[in-house]
Amino acid sequence: MALSFQTVIGLEIHVQLATKSKLFCSCSTDYIGARPNSNVCPVCLGMPGSLPVVNGRAVELAAMVGLALGSKVQQATRFHRKNYFYADLSKGYQISQFDLPICAGGLLVFDDDEGKEVRVAITRAHLEEDAGKLVHPSVDGRLAGALHSLVDYNRGGVPLLEIVSEPDITCPPHARRYTEEIRRLVRYLGVSDGDMESGSLRVDANISQKVSDGRWGSRVEIKNMNSLRSLERALEYEVKRQRKVLAEGGEIHQETRHWDDGEGKTRSMRSKEEAHDYRYFPDPDLPPLIVTADRIEALRSLMPELPWQAERRLVDAYGLGADDAKVLAESAAAVAYLDGCVQAGAEAKRAANWVRTEVLRVLNERKISIEAFPLKPESLASILALVDRGKLSTTAAKDVFDVMVRDGSGLDTAMAAAGVVSGRVEGSRLEEIVEKVLAENADAAEAVRSGKDPKDKKIKFLQGLVMRETRGQADVAQVASLIARKLS
Amino acid sequence: MKLYARSAADLARSIRSKEHSVAEVVEAHLSRMERMEPILSAIITPLKEEARARASALDIALSRDENPGPLTGVPFIVKDNFCTRGVRTTCASRMLEGWVPPYDATVVRYLEEAGAVLIGKANMDEFAMGSSTEHSAFFTTGNPWDPRRVPGGSSGGSAAACAAGYAPLAFGSDTGGSIRQPAAFCGVYGFKPTYGMVSRYGVVPFASSLDQIGPFSRTLEDLLLAMEVIARPDERDATCSRALRPDFRKALDVTDLRGKRVGLVKEFEGYDIDGAVIESLRSAREILIDAGASVVDVTLPTVGHGLACYYIIAPAEASSNLARFDGVRYGFSAEADSLIELYHKTRQGGFGPEVKRRLLMGTYVLSSGYYDAYYNKALKVVAILRGEFDRAFSEVDFILAPTTPTLPFRKGENIGDPIRMYMSDLFTLPANMAGLPALSLNGGYSEGLPVGIQLIGPRFGEMEIFSAAAVIEKSLGLPRLAGGVL
Repeated sequence: MALSFQTVIGLEIHVQLATKSKLFCSCSTDYIGARPNSNVCPVCLGMPGSLPVVNGRAVELAAMVGLALGSKVQQATRFHRKNYFYADLSKGYQISQFDLPICAGGLLVFDDDEGKEVRVAITRAHLEEDAGKLVHPSVDGRLAGALHSLVDYNRGGVPLLEIVSEPDITCPPHARRYTEEIRRLVRYLGVSDGDMESGSLRVDANISQKVSDGRWGSRVEIKNMNSLRSLERALEYEVKRQRKVLAEGGEIHQETRHWDDGEGKTRSMRSKEEAHDYRYFPDPDLPPLIVTADRIEALRSLMPELPWQAERRLVDAYGLGADDAKVLAESAAAVAYLDGCVQAGAEAKRAANWVRTEVLRVLNERKISIEAFPLKPESLASILALVDRGKLSTTAAKDVFDVMVRDGSGLDTAMAAAGVVSGRVEGSRLEEIVEKVLAENADAAEAVRSGKDPKDKKIKFLQGLVMRETRGQADVAQVASLIARKLS
Repeated sequence: MKLYARSAADLARSIRSKEHSVAEVVEAHLSRMERMEPILSAIITPLKEEARARASALDIALSRDENPGPLTGVPFIVKDNFCTRGVRTTCASRMLEGWVPPYDATVVRYLEEAGAVLIGKANMDEFAMGSSTEHSAFFTTGNPWDPRRVPGGSSGGSAAACAAGYAPLAFGSDTGGSIRQPAAFCGVYGFKPTYGMVSRYGVVPFASSLDQIGPFSRTLEDLLLAMEVIARPDERDATCSRALRPDFRKALDVTDLRGKRVGLVKEFEGYDIDGAVIESLRSAREILIDAGASVVDVTLPTVGHGLACYYIIAPAEASSNLARFDGVRYGFSAEADSLIELYHKTRQGGFGPEVKRRLLMGTYVLSSGYYDAYYNKALKVVAILRGEFDRAFSEVDFILAPTTPTLPFRKGENIGDPIRMYMSDLFTLPANMAGLPALSLNGGYSEGLPVGIQLIGPRFGEMEIFSAAAVIEKSLGLPRLAGGVL
């Protein structure tokens, strides 16, 4: 009988928290592009005698994630020391949490790519400090070939929240979806930028196989997956590898494997026997951290709408399509912007369409956040109102929108600058435009006049030009009859 | 009276009244240090030029009638594990022989803000691990009452310097008795405050949950003056209390102990204690009774396990605290071809044998499979011991106990026998494990050597101890300046 396999995956996601200062000192967390070792002090350099003091904001951000995931935010929590030697670790230990994490339990519910609901339980989420970064000044920046290594401690001490899932994930695409959902959550809450490429969101996976003959493969930890794509690829690779070994009667040993994105393979980093003994013990420099029930309740009352709640509301209240709702609910600011448009009187679906296409396009082009977007929701709503009342065509509205975004001008100024007149182009003004188009395209006009336009191609061309001149603000039938009259 | 023989309070008064300049006071202490140092070797780094420069700056400020601090012009010495900006801080270790910190310990900052003048950094056992200064990587300090004997440790240099008149105030750190045992051996006051009373920021830790910073002095008034300066909240130390401290010097006026109950620990009677110590305890007891106190026996059934638990918890924390000395960022760094070799050679060459012994013990007791059997069990015993102290302090206001079982021992006498060396902290380390304030004070002399006795109070019960000490000092008189005959 052929063997069948069941994949079991649990994820550990490290999220860098978007605090201004580090977890245990007042140094800036803004390390990207900073001069090496410029954001450091005796505390994050681990100098003798220096002592850590917990950053209250990091605790709040961690608690917010916990509240969003339905975790129990623990009132009494503490920090442990995780002891190991490495050059990027300034104290010879990392301050982390062990038996009393800030958040315990929780659940994340999301849809898979086919729209089927997936539920993954959260084990815990705990606070810890990031390490520094090693720089190997060889030709290609790799360890091999470098004559020495340099350490940059700017990142050392940046707060991390490690979110640990239960082994509830059954396939690589679900692991990717889970990660996407966590990323959306932390971005939505503003607790992290969640960027995997730059390392502000890092995923380690534990993956094993259950075999239909009753065997269990040991758990293998995969590291170094720096994008959603490499996460999925690494896990797909590992599923195949483990199944092959087990199918051939082999054994999977507990180990840590490194994903090589270029090779498309995982390779063994260290076995269970080589694993560190971290000698965890409570950090005596930090008294137990008490987060009072009042503080937790205050945070709970300040919690914004969550991305999945917003997504649902956009569908239910605004009648948006599932796809639009999902795209918009990536960002709390986008949802707030849409809500602003609706409150200012815009029709929800039209506004959503504009936010999704025009607003997000400008944000991408300018690489700015929606908070920095120059057009207020009320202004966009006022453009859309003109469209609704038939006073502005969609094409003209987009021109006006572009001018308002470009110049930061008001509606009337922008309309003048865009050469747009509110309302229909008709009567003598339309007639002027028709005459101008016919004069500029005398050949086509003559062809129509002399009956050499059997398939109405040329007359359609002339109509099109008129419509473009009027920025779509003329009635097509009216234009057609006017042209016909002039050329008869 | 020679300037170096006078108290800090006295010197501060005469500087304020312009009877003496800061320069005169500092010079008198520097020359005392210069004269005594060849015999005692108490100082790792003297700061003569720095102290003279600071003295003249203070004299200028005083001449402009700027408001002086409570310790303006008073010389002081710190143990060489107190970080001092721009001045090397060695911890008496090869590991930090040339290390110059870019910051001051909070206590040093508070003292300098109060106008005190740092004149030297004192010898100690390497990384505060030891009871004699014999584990200093540089040299052993002599006891100012008999230089063939040890001054105690680990803060032995500070105690010897204070006793011999280098400075009226010196400071140390106490993890299991490292202030009180040398204070007893050198015949001065040495106080370990309640855990959380004084900031630990910038003092290189041995065992963070046990370490406290405290003063040495030759008068109770000086001790309390020093406490008023250093015992303040510090936002850089999360374990430092934010509560207001009492007005310590009020205790000086106490003459009457009526209604106070003095505890004597039953379990301490079973130990082998030097007759001179027992005699001093007896006379202190009489003094307290004469002042109206009553004496009660208290019991601490678990105290006998204190030594064992201490030698699990302190090394465990030390093994982690000292992990940062890896040759990567500062201090001693060995030549090596790989990271792992750098670690091995740096730690091999940078740490002395006693430090290595404790790091090995500490690493072992935290290891997986041993954690519960050692570290966790030790913590449970400590919790029980704390409960026993709580019960004792519901019956008494403070405890009277020996500081050390013996008088100062000879150099080399215990060096080959770590357990005997560890035994000298037997009566001091319970206070660290329970976080209690404890004072060693001079209880007399025996054959030319000082005898220390100890007062232990409840958490934040400093005033109980100081009140009792005030009564004892009034009866016994001030401790003598050591080294007068040398």
